[in-house]
Amino acid sequence: MKKIVSIILLSVLAIACKSEKKQADKKEQEVNVYTHRHYASDQELFAQFEKQTGIKVNVVNANADELMQKMTLEGAQSPADVLITVDAGRLVRAKNKGLLQAASSEFLEKTIPAHLKDVDNNWFSLTKRARVIVYNPQKVNAADLSTYEALTDKKWNNKILVRSSSNIYNQSLLASIIANSDEDTATNWATGVVANMARSPKGNDRDQIKAVVAGEGDLAIVNTYYIGKLLDSKDPDEVKAGEGIKVFFPNQNNRGTHINVSGAGVAKYAPNKANAIKFIEFLASKEAQKVFAETNFEYPVNEAVQASELLKSWGTFKEDKLSLSKLGENNKKAVLVFDNAGWK
Amino acid sequence: MKLKRLYNIKRDTNKWSIILLTIVLFVSIPVLSIVISAFDGPGESWHHILTTVLPTYLENSFWLVVGTSILTLLLGISSAWIVSRYTIPFKKQLEWLLILPLAIPSYITAYSYAGFFDYGGFFLKISTLKVDIMNIYGLVFVLSVSLYPYVYVASRAFFVNQSNNIIEASKLLGASERKTFFKLILPLARPAFVGGLILVLMEVLNDYGAAKYFGINTFTTGIFRAWFSLEEPETAIYLSVILLVCILLFILIEKRQRRNIGYFNSVKNHREVKKISTSKNRQYFLFLIVVLPFFLGFIIPVAQLFYWAFLTYSDVFNASFLLIAFQSLGISLLSAIFTVFCALLFIFASKWNRLSFLKSVEKIGILGYAIPGAIIAIGILIPSLALDKALIVFFKNVFDIKIGFVLNGTIIILIYAFVIRYLAVAYSPIEASSLKQGNSLVEASKLLGKGNIFTFFKVEFATIKPAILSGCILVFVDVMKELPLTLILKPYNINTLAVKAYEYASDELIAEAAIPSLCIIFTGILPIIFLNRLISKA
Repeated sequence: MKKIVSIILLSVLAIACKSEKKQADKKEQEVNVYTHRHYASDQELFAQFEKQTGIKVNVVNANADELMQKMTLEGAQSPADVLITVDAGRLVRAKNKGLLQAASSEFLEKTIPAHLKDVDNNWFSLTKRARVIVYNPQKVNAADLSTYEALTDKKWNNKILVRSSSNIYNQSLLASIIANSDEDTATNWATGVVANMARSPKGNDRDQIKAVVAGEGDLAIVNTYYIGKLLDSKDPDEVKAGEGIKVFFPNQNNRGTHINVSGAGVAKYAPNKANAIKFIEFLASKEAQKVFAETNFEYPVNEAVQASELLKSWGTFKEDKLSLSKLGENNKKAVLVFDNAGWK
Repeated sequence: MKLKRLYNIKRDTNKWSIILLTIVLFVSIPVLSIVISAFDGPGESWHHILTTVLPTYLENSFWLVVGTSILTLLLGISSAWIVSRYTIPFKKQLEWLLILPLAIPSYITAYSYAGFFDYGGFFLKISTLKVDIMNIYGLVFVLSVSLYPYVYVASRAFFVNQSNNIIEASKLLGASERKTFFKLILPLARPAFVGGLILVLMEVLNDYGAAKYFGINTFTTGIFRAWFSLEEPETAIYLSVILLVCILLFILIEKRQRRNIGYFNSVKNHREVKKISTSKNRQYFLFLIVVLPFFLGFIIPVAQLFYWAFLTYSDVFNASFLLIAFQSLGISLLSAIFTVFCALLFIFASKWNRLSFLKSVEKIGILGYAIPGAIIAIGILIPSLALDKALIVFFKNVFDIKIGFVLNGTIIILIYAFVIRYLAVAYSPIEASSLKQGNSLVEASKLLGKGNIFTFFKVEFATIKPAILSGCILVFVDVMKELPLTLILKPYNINTLAVKAYEYASDELIAEAAIPSLCIIFTGILPIIFLNRLISKA
């Protein structure tokens, strides 16, 4: 028994010494990133950042809500420096839970438009995606399309394809309708769309596009980013599906097409705050934004960078300039509305 | 009276009681943390969930559980019986091939089937029939063909090992083969296949990926809706505990039902089951029955994955995959060994301890499997972070050294998490097998003055070895595919194949996820073949 106890004590000591040693060696600069994004483009950019600055990027990759829970439990000792999410709602949530802090950066303030960042500089958008309508040009005349709201019209009965309401992009879209009008309008809209659905919601955005091409419905509500990915697919049948649809930007004559973002904020207890800001600045820089735009088919937030050729081929569009903080504030209401409307 | 009871406790306490208590504490802390947090009650959306969506979610979960139970029992028991009782072509290979569907994460199987039947999919190219698999029937089908191996492995460990006497006696008394199976073998095998079935049910109830993709809202969907969409982790925890209680009730009822039945075998005449050879035609027929689950659960999804891998390998495959495959292999093996060790300690400490009120405590050990992985991750973070924070304070006050987290973000926590999560997987086959084993040899050994440990290694170990190895295989493949715990708890620079597959899949790059998925499958196959060989030998 004594032996076992002494072995355990020794091993604990060994680990403690090791971590102490690590602490001592920590002259090496690093930044700990908790991210919901997991794209090849990001890994490429992290490597680039390491090369340029010599700051090592340590990544924890999980769902944003799980990461936020982890940060909450870790509290003041949390090693997290940067939190990256794929929607504005979660960033607002993180700010409200006190997980983020203000980052003062002249570059970020200058580069990122006001509606795409937090008023207190707790978070900044990095890339944009538009939620658009795609349609089968053989069945739908583009002149018949106008707004998200018009999708509740009887003429689309049994024609609309859209994924489940557990998807954050649908929640954000509905949150934007609540913010721009009110909850009643949103409820009517959700109920109207449910009534017009061609099938019960299933699959992801790509599956909605494929279903349009397969003739299960006439139009679908999807993210631009997935259309890009579909056209870039290695699977010839997927490319064919991508080519079978056309993109329509709704609400051009009023508030503009709904956009969502992916963005980043500096963690409240960031042990490497300076590196964290440097890291976010890098992601907003021209060279990084170009990578986001070209390899990941997202719209850059840095206006000095152009969208990819493919995205430009769909035409320019007017975006909803609603402050993204509003999406976070109304997200929960949106989910309740979805449930009440029976949107699965 | 009270005094007498206290005296009894003092008299009956032995070192195994203490070991059992320690280990119970060790494995139940995460689950207890969750249960304790559930006492804070649900969040404000509770009423909303209860009234709007929960009834449908419960209904879906119910039918899912009923459907997959029936189908997995059918597939698992029939194939296990045929391969252990009949001479059929390719029997040796089929024995381990039948386990392979387990090596594919069920959400990947779901994606493969959707791709197979989808627009542009292979099925539509060879036929004009549009099959819609993305509904509840499709989900039952997909989950059953990917989870039946739990039932198969548990039943086969029983069938292979059962003494020939029962069958022979039954035959001598004039019972037909069919009657022998339904009246004798099947009832006797109950602890084994129910053990497997419980694992299937827990997996089904925990499944999130496949159900979400197919658009079927289940109870677990509700848990994540509460957490991710309604911003209420407390409601999610509350719902998980309800799920946990339901599963616990099910297990207790099952155990109670078989309480008075002794499942001992007379071990005197322990010979392998004699194989029956039948006519060629009948052999082919039996062969088809056995091949079917393997074909549906493995060949079709893997063929689809190979097609996708063929399209994407140039983009996805690189040297780093080899490293990741090794890391996955190492983590899975380590976790499997620790988990099985823990399960053994659990079962035998509970057997050797003499305090009767501790006998039922062992069930706590398997609860980690009944809670969705992402929730159990919270249960692991709460105590381990508390310990880490205490250590930080301790080192600061006593030695004036500033340290970071000692446990969190290390491989130790990750493996601890896997032990907690998969203890049930190792526990079930071993428990079933040790239940079946008679007491006479053990008692003989004890009478000869040998201790528990000696008896265990000389007598019991030999007979439950196949079950131990089955447990190892199951934990191994489960860890290979595991996702939420790995994501939340893994150290910075460690990666697993499952994480890689998920990164692509969650980005809707299903075809790109094929290569890491195939790596999971083929890294998993080697130990399965190896361990299976050991089972057959034992």
